[in-house]
Amino acid sequence: MSDSKGRVVLVVDDDDMIRRLVRTVLEADEFEVTEATDGESALALASTTEPAVVVLDIMMPGLDGVEVCRRLDHDRVKVIVLTARDDPDLENDCREAGANAFVTKPFSSIELLDLVAELIAT
Amino acid sequence: MRPDSGADLINPLDPGLSDPERFEQQLHRLAQDAVAAYRKAKSRASELEVALATLETAFLETVRSLAFVVEAKDAYTGQHLERCRVYGVAVMKELGIHDDYPDAQYGFLLHDAGKVGVPERILGKPGPLTAAEWRVMRTHPLIGYQIVAGIPFLKNAAEIVRSHHEMFDGSGYPAGLRRDEIPVPARVFSVVDAFDAMTTDRPYRAALSLDHALGELQRMAGTQFDPDVVKAFLPLAESIAPAGLPEPIPR
Repeated sequence: MSDSKGRVVLVVDDDDMIRRLVRTVLEADEFEVTEATDGESALALASTTEPAVVVLDIMMPGLDGVEVCRRLDHDRVKVIVLTARDDPDLENDCREAGANAFVTKPFSSIELLDLVAELIAT
Repeated sequence: MRPDSGADLINPLDPGLSDPERFEQQLHRLAQDAVAAYRKAKSRASELEVALATLETAFLETVRSLAFVVEAKDAYTGQHLERCRVYGVAVMKELGIHDDYPDAQYGFLLHDAGKVGVPERILGKPGPLTAAEWRVMRTHPLIGYQIVAGIPFLKNAAEIVRSHHEMFDGSGYPAGLRRDEIPVPARVFSVVDAFDAMTTDRPYRAALSLDHALGELQRMAGTQFDPDVVKAFLPLAESIAPAGLPEPIPR
């Protein structure tokens, strides 16, 4: 179990390089990072590692990101959707599924860090 | 059917960063982030520098006002304080110790702040002081020290205030300190204070010539003054005294 007291971020993306990049950015700001490559393992990890924030890709094989978002416990975790699809309908679906933020790729590392900090503080 | 780890397979719906164009776009975005952060940091740093300079000027002006409060009645004194400050800083720089005592100039300005504690009838007495009156007069360095020592940035300044009447050979007051027991800035102050007094017109005598004044400093080197300070001051006196920023006031 992590002892970072609310500074764990779960990064979910099937793209290895995206996960590595997001991990590097978050660790540079001293967050602890766990990773999942698909929706099912994301949900499992979310309950075992108790992250404060989930950075969630949408287009993954298997369980899609919107469904993962819906199944997360929004009382315990905040969700930042990170997707290549710059689509207002998708954004709507995500927010209805409980997402707190919607970020498109390519993403700004500064914007991501600001968002994570903001969501952890609330 | 589910692919096992996704790490080796490219999702046809979302090729991610394995796609060269997407990779390049993400790289570009990160570079922009870095430049934005750098620019912001630089601009904040220069804002802080400006703010710091403003604050330091304000502080100096405040200390000047404080010094002048004590001696406001006498126009001579105001200019004298400022000249002591300028000469004193010049000698400190010549000795290479200016950076070790950044608040020394405030001590030069405030050296007689303790006179607020000395009754006016003694301060303004036209004739010689009695022994009892002298004893009271000689409390002003310690009173001044108590005033200044409470101010956080003025540690060295307080030492100057306390020791500005000490003499190199130990015959000064309040503590009879000798040689390097006297803080260096106080030893510097003694020389520039005496020099300025000699080279300006006073009610009881005209200003001495530059050569005469420098001769006096050398004569008293080793007794009243630190010889090294006198030695450092001599070449400076030629260049700053005639210009005298601000000008000595003829009467």
